Amino acid sequence: MRFYKLSLFRGLGFMLVGTFIGVVITILIRLLIGLPAWNAEPILVVGALFGAIAFMFGTRVMDDWFKWARGIDTPEPAEDSEAEGWKRFIHVSFDHKVIGIQYGLTSILILSVAGLFAMIFRTELAQPGLQFLTPDGFNTLISLHGIVNIGGILLGVAAMANYLVPLMIGANDMAFPRLNAFAYWINIPAIVMLLSTILLGGVDAGWTGYPPLSENLAKIGFSMFFLGVYLIGLSSILGGLNLITTIIRMRAPGMSYFRMPIFVWSTLATMIISLTATQLIGLSFQMVLFDRVFGMDFFNPNQGGNVLLFQNLFWFYSHPAVYVFVLPGLGIISELLPVFSRKPLFGYRWVALSSMAIALVGFFVWAHHMFTSGMADFLRVPFTYSTLLVAVPTGIKFFSWTGTIWRGKLSFQTPMLYVLGAISIFLLGGLSGPPNATVATDLHIHDTYFIVGHFHATMFGGYLFPFVAAAYFWFPLITGRMYSERWGKIGFWLMLIGFYFQSLFQMQTGLLGMRRRIADYDPALGVDFQQLVVSIAGFVVGLGLLVFITNILVSAKRGQVAEQNPWRSRSPEWYIPTPVWGHNYEKPFEVVGEPYDYGLEGSDYTSLGGVADTPADSAVPEPAAAD
Amino acid sequence: MGIRNVKTNLSSLTTMNSSPDQLRVLIASSHPLFAQGISSLLEKRPEMDTEVVGMVSTIDEAMDALKNLHPDLVIVDYDDDQVNREEFLARFVEGEGRLRVVLFSLKEGGDEAIVYDRRTMAASQIEDWLDGLSQRTGEPEPLPVEPDETPEQPKRRDSMRHLILAGLLVAVLIVGSYFLLTTIELLPEQASLQAKPIDDLFRLDFIAIAVLFSLIIGLMVYSIVVFRRRKGDETDGPHIEGNSRLEVVWTLVPLLFVLFLAYYGSVALGKTTAADPQPLRMDVIGTQWSWRFEYPAYGIISTEMVMPVNKQALLNLSSTDVIHSFWVPEFRVKQDLLPGEDFERELRVTPIEVGEYKVRCAELCGRNHYDMLAPVKVLSQADFDAWVEAQTGPVSDDPVLRGQAVTQQYGCLACHSTDGSEMAGPTWLGVYGSQEALNDGTSVTVDREYIIKSIREPGIQIVAGFQNIMPAGIGADLTDEQIEDVIAFIESLQ
Repeated sequence: MRFYKLSLFRGLGFMLVGTFIGVVITILIRLLIGLPAWNAEPILVVGALFGAIAFMFGTRVMDDWFKWARGIDTPEPAEDSEAEGWKRFIHVSFDHKVIGIQYGLTSILILSVAGLFAMIFRTELAQPGLQFLTPDGFNTLISLHGIVNIGGILLGVAAMANYLVPLMIGANDMAFPRLNAFAYWINIPAIVMLLSTILLGGVDAGWTGYPPLSENLAKIGFSMFFLGVYLIGLSSILGGLNLITTIIRMRAPGMSYFRMPIFVWSTLATMIISLTATQLIGLSFQMVLFDRVFGMDFFNPNQGGNVLLFQNLFWFYSHPAVYVFVLPGLGIISELLPVFSRKPLFGYRWVALSSMAIALVGFFVWAHHMFTSGMADFLRVPFTYSTLLVAVPTGIKFFSWTGTIWRGKLSFQTPMLYVLGAISIFLLGGLSGPPNATVATDLHIHDTYFIVGHFHATMFGGYLFPFVAAAYFWFPLITGRMYSERWGKIGFWLMLIGFYFQSLFQMQTGLLGMRRRIADYDPALGVDFQQLVVSIAGFVVGLGLLVFITNILVSAKRGQVAEQNPWRSRSPEWYIPTPVWGHNYEKPFEVVGEPYDYGLEGSDYTSLGGVADTPADSAVPEPAAAD
Repeated sequence: MGIRNVKTNLSSLTTMNSSPDQLRVLIASSHPLFAQGISSLLEKRPEMDTEVVGMVSTIDEAMDALKNLHPDLVIVDYDDDQVNREEFLARFVEGEGRLRVVLFSLKEGGDEAIVYDRRTMAASQIEDWLDGLSQRTGEPEPLPVEPDETPEQPKRRDSMRHLILAGLLVAVLIVGSYFLLTTIELLPEQASLQAKPIDDLFRLDFIAIAVLFSLIIGLMVYSIVVFRRRKGDETDGPHIEGNSRLEVVWTLVPLLFVLFLAYYGSVALGKTTAADPQPLRMDVIGTQWSWRFEYPAYGIISTEMVMPVNKQALLNLSSTDVIHSFWVPEFRVKQDLLPGEDFERELRVTPIEVGEYKVRCAELCGRNHYDMLAPVKVLSQADFDAWVEAQTGPVSDDPVLRGQAVTQQYGCLACHSTDGSEMAGPTWLGVYGSQEALNDGTSVTVDREYIIKSIREPGIQIVAGFQNIMPAGIGADLTDEQIEDVIAFIESLQ
C-alpha cells in the first residue's frame, strides 16, 4: 500500500488543506461583516477546527457512516484492513485489537515526548539559577509535560481497555467498532494541536489552565491547548460509551457480573467516570475559549467574571479523572497477582466493588483541590471527610492484594516485578494523600513539590508500572513472541530505584518550602542537593523506560516465538492462537466457573479449557449475540 | 467394624479440621443404609459441626461431587463395587486440594478404618513434617492418628509462625520508618502560632504513614522472600478465595481511622483560623509579579511585609490581575489572592519568632512567578513602632526620593530595572530623553508626556520587543503628583 493512502498520512494531508480552507473562510467572513481581515486567534481556532474535521475525512474512518446515510450497506469489517505489517497500525481498522495497539503505541510515543520535556526542565532545575531556559520556556514545558502526559495516560487506558475487554469477555469486537476507530483517530489532530502550542507563544498556566492567566490573549497557544484537550475529551466520552455498552451487552454466556475478570470491573468503573464527568472539563475549557475568541466574560474578573467557577467545573472532572488514570492500572494489578501467585484473588467481590466505590466517592471530593482558593470553612470540612473516605476502598485493595500473595507460590517474571513495584509505589502515593485531604496540613503543602511527589507516585504506581506490566504480560499474545526477560528486569530496577529517589526527595523539598512550577528556586531553602538528586533520578527513570520501549520494539521483531499461554493463566484470551487479527473466537465459549480458582483441582473458568488443556477443544453452546 | 469405632474416628477427624466453617462431608456408597446410617450418626453429634453435602452411589457421581461440592471429608464404603475404591484412590492421588478420605468396611469386621489425608506442603512445612516423623521413629504409627500428632498441627503452627515472623518484620519497619520520618528534616522553622496545630497534624500523619507503609510492605517483603515458588514446582498455591470477616475488619478499622483523622484535622483547621479580638489589619495585594502591603491603620504602603511579633495579623488578600497565592513556609498557612470585586479573602497569621522570612507566590502566575517574592520582617513591638514612625514621618522634599518611594510601593521595580538589566519591562536607566523604537515600527522620544501616557494608557505605545503587561489599575491609582515624582525619579537615572 502506498504511503499516501495510509490513513495517518492522508489525514495529515487533509488536515493541512482543511486548516487552510478554514483560515480563508474566516478571513472572508470577517471582511464581509466589516472586521479587519487578520486577527490571528479566531482565524487559527476556526482553521484548527476545520483541520480536525478534514483529518477525520482524510482517514476515511467515517466512510461507512456516510454510506449508511446514503442507504448503501457495507459488509461487516471482517478480516481487518488492507494494510499489512507495521502499516496496519497507522491505517484505519475496526478491529479492537488493532485499535488497542494503535492507542498503545500513540500513548507510548506522546508519553515519551512529555517525558522528554521533563528531562529538559529537570536539567534546568538540577542547580539553582536560570541556566538555559527562559522563564516562559520553562512554564510552557511544565504545562505541556502535564497535559501531554494526561493525554498519553488517557490513550494508554484506552489501549488496555480496548485490547483486553472484548477478549476477556468473549466478544468478537466492541459494540460499536466504527465509533471505536473514530474515537482513536480524533486524538491525532488533538495531539498536533497540543504540540503546536510551542510554536504559538507557548502556554504558561500549567496543565490546569486556570483563568484569568490562561485568558492572556498575547499567547494564542492557549486556544490550541483548550481545543486539543476538548477533542481528547470527546474521545474519552465516546470510548466510555462504547466500553460500557460492550461490557453490559456482550459478555459470554454464563459470565455473570461477578464472574467477570477483575480488569473488566475496573474498566467498567473507569468508563462510567469517563462517560459522565468529561463533559465538565469540556464545558469549562469551552467557556475559556469563548472568553478568548468571542470576548465573553465568564472568567474575566474585570467584568464580574468568577474565577472560582472555572476551578469548580474543572476539578469536578479532573479529580475523578485521576481515578480514570489509576483504576485500570489497579485492575491490572488485581488481574496479574493471582496468575503469578497461583492463588485466587483474595476477596474478589470486595475488590470488584471497591473500584465502583472509588468511582462513586471520587465524584464528591473535587473541592479538595481548592482548599486554599478561598472556600468557606463550612465547605472545606465536609470535603475533608469525603476525600478521606477514598482511603477505605483503596485500603481494601491493598489488603486484598496482600492476602492474595500470602502463602501463594510467587514467581517473579518481569510483569510480576512491575506489579509488585506498582503496589509499593501506589502505596507511597496513597499514604501521602491524607495530609492533602486534611485542610490544615494542605494549607502548607498545597502547590508545593510535596504534591508533585504525591501525584507522580499515584500516576507511576497506578498507571505507568501497571501499564508496563500489562504490556509485558500480554506481549506474547499481542506479538506471538517473548520479550527479553533480562532487559525487562534491568528496566524494572532502573525505574523502581530511580522513582523512589525522585518521589521521596520531591516530597521532602516540598515540605521544606519549595513551590511547584518555578523556573528557579531560592538557594536559601537548602534544597539544592535534593533537587539535583531528583534530576538524576528522573533521568534514571527515563533510562528505565527507554529500556522498556527498546525491549518491546526489538522483541516484537526478533524475540523468541512464545509458547501458548506462557503464564498458565485461566483467562480465555490465552486459549486462542497468537497473534490473532480479525475475529477473536472462532467458536464462542461459555463461562463455567470462577475466574481465579487457582489451586482448585479440575475447575475451569471457561469451556475453552483449564490451565493444562490445549486450546479450544470443548463443545460449543449457543453462539453469543454479538454486535 | 463396629459403629462405636466409627464414632471415635470421626470425632478425631473433626478436631483436625482447622477451619471455623462446617466440615463438608461426602458419603460414597451404593447401599442406602450405609449412607443414611453414617449421616444420622453425624447429625446426633452437633458439636462436631458437620454437614453432609452429598451422597453418591457411583464412581462417576463421586468424581462430579468432588469437583462441584468441594467436600473436606469423603467417607467411602470399602466393600462397594460401584464405588470402585481403587479407581477412586487413583484419582485421589492425582489431586492437589486438601481432602481427607476415610475408607471403612462393614463386612470385614476389623476395628480399623483407613484414613488418607491429602495436602500440599511448602518445603519448610515438609521439613517440620519430617521432623515430626523422625521423633516418632521406632513407634508404630497409630491409626487413626491422634489429634495432637496430626500433620494438621504443624501446618497450623506453621501458619502462626509465618504471622509472627512477618509481624516482627512489620514492627521493625514501623520503628525504622518512624525514626527516619522524625529524624530527617521535613518541616521548616515553626514561626507562627498557626503552625503548631498544623505540625501536630503532620506528626499524626507521619505515624499513620509509618505504620501503614510498614504493614503492607512488611507483609509483601515477607511473602516475596518466604512464599517463592520452588524450582520445578508447577503446582498451585492453596485455594483460599477470601475471608469476609477479614474484609469487614479492614473496611471498618480504616473507616474509623479516617473519620477520626477528618475530625482531628477539622479541629486543627479551627485552631488555625481562630480570631483574636484586636488583630493588626493589613491589605495584601498581588500584582504580576510583585507584592504590596498596605497598613490602613497607619496609612503605610510597603513592598516589605513588616509585622510585630506575637500579634495576630488579619490579612485581607486581593489581586489586581491573575490568581496569586500568599505563602510563607515558616508560617505554614496559605491563601490564594483572587482578582475581581467581592473576591477578597482573609487569612490570620500570628508570628511568634522575630526574624526574616519571605512571602513566596504559590500559584503559577505567569512568566516571573518563580521570582515573585517579598521580604517578611517580624519585629519586636518596639522595633515595629519605630518602623511605623519612620514610614509615616515627614515626606521628603526631594521629588526624586518621593518618586523612588512610589515605585517601590507599587512594585514597579519588579519589571523595570534601574541598572540597565533586562527584565519584563524596559529598563529605566538612561531611558529618559532617549529615542525608543516602538513595536509598530515608529519611534518616540521618552519624555514627560510619553511617560504619563505609558502609565495612564499603557497599551498604546509599546516599546519594541516588549508586551503590555502593565498591571491594570495602576494608571488610575496614581495621582498626578505621584506620577510627576516618578518622572523625576526616572529622569535621575542616567
